[in-house]
Amino acid sequence: MIERLRVDFWTLVMVLAVAVLGMLLIWPLSSIFAASFIDNTTREPTLGNYARVLGQPYFQVALGNSLIVGVGGMLGAMLLGVPLAALTARYVIIGRDFLATLAVLALVSPPFIGAYAWIMMLGRNGFVRLLLEDMGIDAPSIYGFFGIILVFSLKFYPFVFLLASSSLRTINPSVEEAAEGLGAGPWRRFFGVTLPLVFPAVSAGALLTFVLSLADFGTPAIVGGNVRVLATTAYNLFTSEMTGNPGLASATSVVLIVLSLVVVVLQRASVRRRNVAGNLIRKSLPKQLGPLASVAAHLVCYAIVLASSLPSLVVMYTSFRKTSGPVFKPGYGLDSYERILREVPHVIGNSATYSLLSVALIVVLGSLIGYLVARGESRVAGWLDSALFIPYIVPGVVLGLAFVVTFNVKPIEITGTATIIVLMLFIRRLPYSVRSSAAILKQIRGSIEEAAVSLGASPARAFMKITLPLMLPGIVAGALMSFITAINELSSSLILYVGRTMTMPVRIYLSVLDGEFGTAAALSTILLVASGAAVYAVHWVSGRNESAFV
Amino acid sequence: MARVDLRRICKSYPGVTALDNVELVVEPGEFFTLLGPSGCGKTTLLRTIAGFNRQDSGEILFDGTRIDTMPAHLRNIGMVYQDYAIFPHKSVADNVAFGLAMRRVARSEIESRVARALDVVQLGGLATRMPHELSGGQQQRVALARAMVISPQILLMDEPLSNLDAKLRVELRDDIRDLQRSLGITTIYVTHDQEEALVISDRICIMQGGRVHQVASPLDVYGRPATLFVASFVGSMNVFDGLSVGPGGEVTIGAATRALPALAGRAEITLAMRPEDVILSRRGEEAGEAIEIEGTVDKVTYAGREAFYRLTCGDGPRLLAHVSRPDQGRLASVGDRLPVALPLARLHAFDPAGGRRVELRP
Repeated sequence: MIERLRVDFWTLVMVLAVAVLGMLLIWPLSSIFAASFIDNTTREPTLGNYARVLGQPYFQVALGNSLIVGVGGMLGAMLLGVPLAALTARYVIIGRDFLATLAVLALVSPPFIGAYAWIMMLGRNGFVRLLLEDMGIDAPSIYGFFGIILVFSLKFYPFVFLLASSSLRTINPSVEEAAEGLGAGPWRRFFGVTLPLVFPAVSAGALLTFVLSLADFGTPAIVGGNVRVLATTAYNLFTSEMTGNPGLASATSVVLIVLSLVVVVLQRASVRRRNVAGNLIRKSLPKQLGPLASVAAHLVCYAIVLASSLPSLVVMYTSFRKTSGPVFKPGYGLDSYERILREVPHVIGNSATYSLLSVALIVVLGSLIGYLVARGESRVAGWLDSALFIPYIVPGVVLGLAFVVTFNVKPIEITGTATIIVLMLFIRRLPYSVRSSAAILKQIRGSIEEAAVSLGASPARAFMKITLPLMLPGIVAGALMSFITAINELSSSLILYVGRTMTMPVRIYLSVLDGEFGTAAALSTILLVASGAAVYAVHWVSGRNESAFV
Repeated sequence: MARVDLRRICKSYPGVTALDNVELVVEPGEFFTLLGPSGCGKTTLLRTIAGFNRQDSGEILFDGTRIDTMPAHLRNIGMVYQDYAIFPHKSVADNVAFGLAMRRVARSEIESRVARALDVVQLGGLATRMPHELSGGQQQRVALARAMVISPQILLMDEPLSNLDAKLRVELRDDIRDLQRSLGITTIYVTHDQEEALVISDRICIMQGGRVHQVASPLDVYGRPATLFVASFVGSMNVFDGLSVGPGGEVTIGAATRALPALAGRAEITLAMRPEDVILSRRGEEAGEAIEIEGTVDKVTYAGREAFYRLTCGDGPRLLAHVSRPDQGRLASVGDRLPVALPLARLHAFDPAGGRRVELRP
């Protein structure tokens, strides 16, 4: 039969998807896995790297520090995110939408900008520190655990906030009223009914912040002081000229991945047992609190959100100050912006080009794979879905190292090119787009597409004419989110860049290390404005739905 | 208008046999209904005909030509869904025009055919509306016009009325039937609603567990059910399960024993009778021969134009009796003892082992 030979459109897409994930994800990660078993000097297979990583105090300290900042970041984010979600979802808080927007803005600004803004406030010459010293108060040092956990908490709490509030909003208020009718007081009600219902969302948020805290490179690199974590250790092992040790760096990376994986598996297992389906018949209306309680609730909400926006404001403000190296001089002007345009104009172009190129690739392949994941019944679709989870748990530093290890030799020798950076951004952010496409597809009934096929449209045509137009808002929102994260990417770019292919985040990082606060602030402001514009566009596309950002 | 042949269709999913050797012929122009409880395989069969499932084995022929190797979009089938499946981003007219555009029909012809199709489903004035401005019933009419306008070889409908409220359901049901008859299009209709099936169909195929139990006219399905399953699924039925049979065909129900010669030689039999066939008085002349017992009223359900009594007959069976046109003075109360007559002519018999119908009269 001729029909049997014709290759189905979706089969082609699946083959392409498997090839791309195989080449950009499985292959590099296998390389790094293999490299972790190779001795650096003898090139013989060995378990020595792991023995050192797990045995030597140097690494044990880094591992311990990673866990401390991971758990610290997670707890901090929950401490800020859960109350904010509970208060804004249940009670009348004036300016709720404004708070949510600010929280999202805090979310999309790169964490290392937060780190460096806090240095400007609480660092050795920080203006807040000097201010407090004048008042006779000795501010705690921002360098070290305090700084890292502070930055992580203020940076990552919006994840917990957004996930928890959308979950709180889907709880049928009748359930809580039923508990009240059965004689449960407010506390019993909260711990016995509400909390178990939002547990999956809150734990997903907690998990996300833990994994992100574990993976983050920029923050500990900038405010870590002498607190080394696994991500910075792997980076230093790989890049330092004298002791460059790919085997050891790879082993450290594998430990980092395994750590994230364990947490993910534990969270998934705990949620599976508590899978509670929302049954939303009636929407809950926020209650009006008494005057005193209301003032307190507003204070808490605004304090949390303003504290998290503070770094961005400080950065924008300082970008207009006159500076000389790390020292701020009196007066305002556009000097810092002029300096960027004079010295490193290409980093802005690079950042824009690489992000846009990678987003274009992400949109095309992401929506197609999203379709396979949402609609596919084959085992390969399930496999794709799990494979796409990998970028969530592999830190940028690790994937960067894996790319260098894999793609600096024939057959694919692309280190030092723009291509490798675009491919890296592409594979790191592809899952976001796949997820948002799949999510919107689940709301489009399959029968609509089948109806198109029964009316004579081939499967490919039915997708283009019917499904794709309906998916568009989801695709655009996913693309904007990918753009925001791509343009702010630091860790992997830092490993892959050469002078020619330097991006804005890399330049900011190097400027901060060199104490060039003025140019760093100006570049950061450009990034913040670009991200803010994209956030605004997401709002506009997805109809003011903050959960589009998670 | 096409004749549809389904030959030995089998389909199984891991752990489930969805279609077990299904063999059916649908005649040209016929309104053919697949009826059964959920999970009986009726939707799977419909989707296999449409080309959205592929059978594991067996053949599907339209007018003698095999079509089961053909991809779904080339089969020229009109399909109507339970959830309407209207394209939400296209206007009513564009929804109806979609199939014609896929067939590269000229624009002017598309316009006139769409207009005619919308008139036929009584939506003439709504061509430029968007789907979200329409009610569920109107959306389903759009779906109907969209499926009909391509002049399909056959029309498939998957529970098209089950998302509508009761009144609309009856209205659209009659319209679908009239439309199908005037166009003479071969139609296969899936439903789990036995009343809908009886009203709308030329023939009904009753399925369960992937197997066909009976294919017959509504009259025969209700009046001469081929299996005990059909008897209890279509309408309600009093079932006297696994009665032992004497050497001469004697059967005992309650206090009465009666010889049914057709049952001679059997050890066991299952008898059944519809509630409306149970007579609650000393048998009149018109009832003919009957099994006569006595029952105590357990429960009275009054529903306006009719009422139901639940009766217990001594140590014997419980049964449900239908009372037409009940009125205040004549309605029994709980505890009343009533004479019960089960006319032999109305008795159904089934083999307790396989559930197949056993004829009581030659």
